[in-house]
Amino acid sequence: MEQKLMFEKLLVANRGEIAVRIMRSARELGIKTVAIYEETDKDSYHISQGDEAICVGPGPRKDYLNIDGIIEAAEKAGAGAIHPGYGFLAENPDFSKACTDAGLVFIGPPQDVIRNLGSKVIARRIAKESDIPVIPATETLSQGAEGEKEALAFAAEYGYSIMIKAVAGGGGRGIRQVDDAKALLGGIKQSRSEALMSFGNDEVYLEKCVQRPQHVEVQILADKYGNVVHLGTRNCSIQRRHQKLIEMAPAVLKKPLTEEICGAAVRAAKAAAYLSAGTVEFLVEPDGTFYFLEVNTRIQVEHTVTEMVTGIDLVREQLLIALGEPIGFSQDQVVERGYAIELRINAEDPKNEFFASPGLVQVYQAPGGHGVRLDGAIYQGYEIPRYYDSMLVKLTVYGFTWQEAVDRLVRALDGFVIIGVKTTIPYLRQILQEPDFIQMKFDTSYIDTHPHLVDYLEEEREMEKIARLIAEINAHGYNPHAQ
Amino acid sequence: MEGRITTEMSAEEILDTLRNADGYYLCNNERDVSQSDFKNRLMPMTTVQVALHREATGFFSVEVSGGASVHVDLMRKQVNPFERLRIARRAMPKTLLQAVCRGASMFGYRHYPENVIRFTVSEFAKYIDVWRVYDFLNHVPNMIPIFEEVQRAGRILMPSICFSTGKEHTDEYYVEKVKEILNVTGPDVIISIKNHSGLGTPKRLGQLVKAIRTSCPDVVLHYHGCNTDGNDIGRMIASVVAGVKICDVADHGLGAVYGQAPALTLIHNLEDYGKKAVGVDVKALVQSSDVLRVERRIYEPFENLFRGHDPTVASYKLTGGAAGSTFEQADKGGFLDRMPEILEEMGRVQIELGNWWSVTPGSQILWTTAVNNVLYGKYERPSLDLKNLIMGRYGPLPFYDPQEWICQKVLEYQRSDGKKWHQVIAEEGGIAKPRDADLEGERENLENEIGRSATNEDLALYLLYSFDTVSFFKFEARYGKTWLLPPEIWFRQGGFKVGERITFEDESGKPHHIEIISTRQEGSTVITSLLVDHAFHTLTVTLEGADACPPPG
Repeated sequence: MEQKLMFEKLLVANRGEIAVRIMRSARELGIKTVAIYEETDKDSYHISQGDEAICVGPGPRKDYLNIDGIIEAAEKAGAGAIHPGYGFLAENPDFSKACTDAGLVFIGPPQDVIRNLGSKVIARRIAKESDIPVIPATETLSQGAEGEKEALAFAAEYGYSIMIKAVAGGGGRGIRQVDDAKALLGGIKQSRSEALMSFGNDEVYLEKCVQRPQHVEVQILADKYGNVVHLGTRNCSIQRRHQKLIEMAPAVLKKPLTEEICGAAVRAAKAAAYLSAGTVEFLVEPDGTFYFLEVNTRIQVEHTVTEMVTGIDLVREQLLIALGEPIGFSQDQVVERGYAIELRINAEDPKNEFFASPGLVQVYQAPGGHGVRLDGAIYQGYEIPRYYDSMLVKLTVYGFTWQEAVDRLVRALDGFVIIGVKTTIPYLRQILQEPDFIQMKFDTSYIDTHPHLVDYLEEEREMEKIARLIAEINAHGYNPHAQ
Repeated sequence: MEGRITTEMSAEEILDTLRNADGYYLCNNERDVSQSDFKNRLMPMTTVQVALHREATGFFSVEVSGGASVHVDLMRKQVNPFERLRIARRAMPKTLLQAVCRGASMFGYRHYPENVIRFTVSEFAKYIDVWRVYDFLNHVPNMIPIFEEVQRAGRILMPSICFSTGKEHTDEYYVEKVKEILNVTGPDVIISIKNHSGLGTPKRLGQLVKAIRTSCPDVVLHYHGCNTDGNDIGRMIASVVAGVKICDVADHGLGAVYGQAPALTLIHNLEDYGKKAVGVDVKALVQSSDVLRVERRIYEPFENLFRGHDPTVASYKLTGGAAGSTFEQADKGGFLDRMPEILEEMGRVQIELGNWWSVTPGSQILWTTAVNNVLYGKYERPSLDLKNLIMGRYGPLPFYDPQEWICQKVLEYQRSDGKKWHQVIAEEGGIAKPRDADLEGERENLENEIGRSATNEDLALYLLYSFDTVSFFKFEARYGKTWLLPPEIWFRQGGFKVGERITFEDESGKPHHIEIISTRQEGSTVITSLLVDHAFHTLTVTLEGADACPPPG
């Protein structure tokens, strides 16, 4: 007899590649999906991938953040659950609560877990209580002059550099490094302003800056029966202004350190009474000293690398956990094999401070073949709107060895043809050919210490150049260059 | 084929083979046929298309470069002249590649500084096996830097004596000229009789060859003629019978009027004289023409506007190589209908200016003078080049000076200092040898203009034609190697039909396809959608000027 699911229809409260990604796993479980979209996003690919689609408002952005509107859409569609993806409302505890209050299953942790771990201060407290080292930091800074005093006192005790962080932060927003008192006081104001705009909360705190660490994170899964497993490490050190550019799994640390970090992540998850998929982030210094950074209570952009090396579908596991299933495997059964690397291909102009490059995707051709995975939501003829993030497609490759993964990445990257918008492809290609990257010698300062990577020539394929002449002959009715 | 000359032989071996050959060799002068009869427009892919058969034919050489072709490659065909040579070399690895060089004017129209000549020759000599070198005044010193560089590069030097008719053009004059050349070059060269306008009777040419052979019995002779009057076969027969070892010929499928006479006709005729075309596979020769007959249709718009053989060339003496450009200029200038008058005036001007040789850059001087004389009156609008010629800037006139009234009109024209013509000659006359160029400074200028480092080949082109070279490099950066396109696409008139598929190969032989998906016009913007190797592209072109207006009807 067929078992009746707790929910048979899932509303995906997101857009772009992650919405498509979630829909794929849901479909495999026989769950119908509902896409939502803003009027300004009506050409988005994810709309066509849902079984149903509901416009939640004129947009831009505000309707993807409108809790009431999305709950109403779910109710209208008869959805029993909501998956928030990443970004937008994914780490908003009020959204988790609103879903629960409306009788909808929220695919993620309960609201109090999100709230606690979303507060960096509480999260640090949880970590400390779990015997996980934390970076010296302040509590939440008081508002106004009092907060400035607290900040200067912290600087006097620990020295510079100092990181200013948004209490409710994530995704690099509201984070900045400062190296003197003037920058500290100015940076606090800027971070408060950014945090207020991004998260609706202007609280910030300070953290001692760890110099040139590696950014290592541990993927965890937790079910409602108290089972917590980790799915190994990821290295996300290659970042530009705290935005990850390239992620890989595993992090390639010494085995005892890996075990220690993964153990710490599981302890933190248990201490927080975690549920669903999450990520515990650490900074690791060259000597192996590591510090707890934060917990991301969502599926992450870079989850694909973990899926590639473990073979475990994280979104499927999230859905199964939400359906009340226990995690279907034990820690011993989690085996990492080979290497996976993910690149974020964004519509940005690396030669122009990575400014977004929205526009019409005139040509889109994507690579394929063994070990190549694409998570994207663009198509030929798609007009990339200027209102949303600039990610076009994630390219994830698997290789049995690190070198094989790098070689495959180069090959796959060369297989892209994206015409109409500037992309980060030529910049990423530079990184893949850079000796330090090839030899895995990188930390969070990699991009800043390799400024020459942006010195590349814009390449155009020979046939595309010749096509330009064909268009001119066609337009003029003769070849203006043969006269 | 027995006796065949190939690139695998050294210059010394080749000359020995020629001296001892029982028969004659053929040079396929594709370059001159293109220049004379198709306004220099033959595209590299036409050369490639017929290369297999030409390689099999067993020519002594194929002339694919030099003359005006180098400049036209850059201006009208958007192909790098060096790349054109590489293409020809890949397509015909065994066949010697030949070029014609205009003495100190190289592949241009003015005398270049000596260091530019030496640098340019050394770069081109990496590809060109046979160097046919001439000076339009037969002034040997003008050619010496080229002689030296070609010999230094180990290539085959073919110094030319320009030939014409008239009482000054005696056997004695030409024999002395051959001796003067051999004194400079030594004996290991091929002397070419450059009958660029196709003048003289077979008997006259036979006499000349005999005279040279009598005086210089070991010299290897080459004959280059044009078939303007339809009689070059006769001249070649007489020349070969008298001892010429190599003749410039055309494919019968491509030859027209002002270029060379057909190879096969020459072969058939010389058989009656017991003369054999050494190393030649006649079947392959015919196959070349079978290919070219079809290909030729693409070039029909560039064929000369006056067609048919013209025996009156004996008086106006227009060189075959200049025919294409003069007719083109007359057509563009709106005076094509006055060509008979102009050609008649050319004959008179030849005599008035010294009866030297109507070949570049002299032919341009004669042509411009004749045109201006017809349009504005006798010597009323003398060109700067004519002034320079009369002042002896290009070298001494070989036979006689123009009459005083001509010198006066030309040299005192628009002269503000009141100097008389004889003063001008006395004070400013004589050969003008340009100062050596600052090669590294020029390289820096080029690199600044094109925004990348410049190779020696790039620099050589820039030294010859700075503006057009920069324009070409900018074109190449934007449009790529468009010479890969079939010539019918390059010269397409009327755009493309929806659904039309353009197929061509890249340099490695990999096939590519560009398919026209749609065309639409919005105002002055034409939007073309294409499938380029299965990838969809939409490209917009904004029309300007007359092109922006839709065609009537």
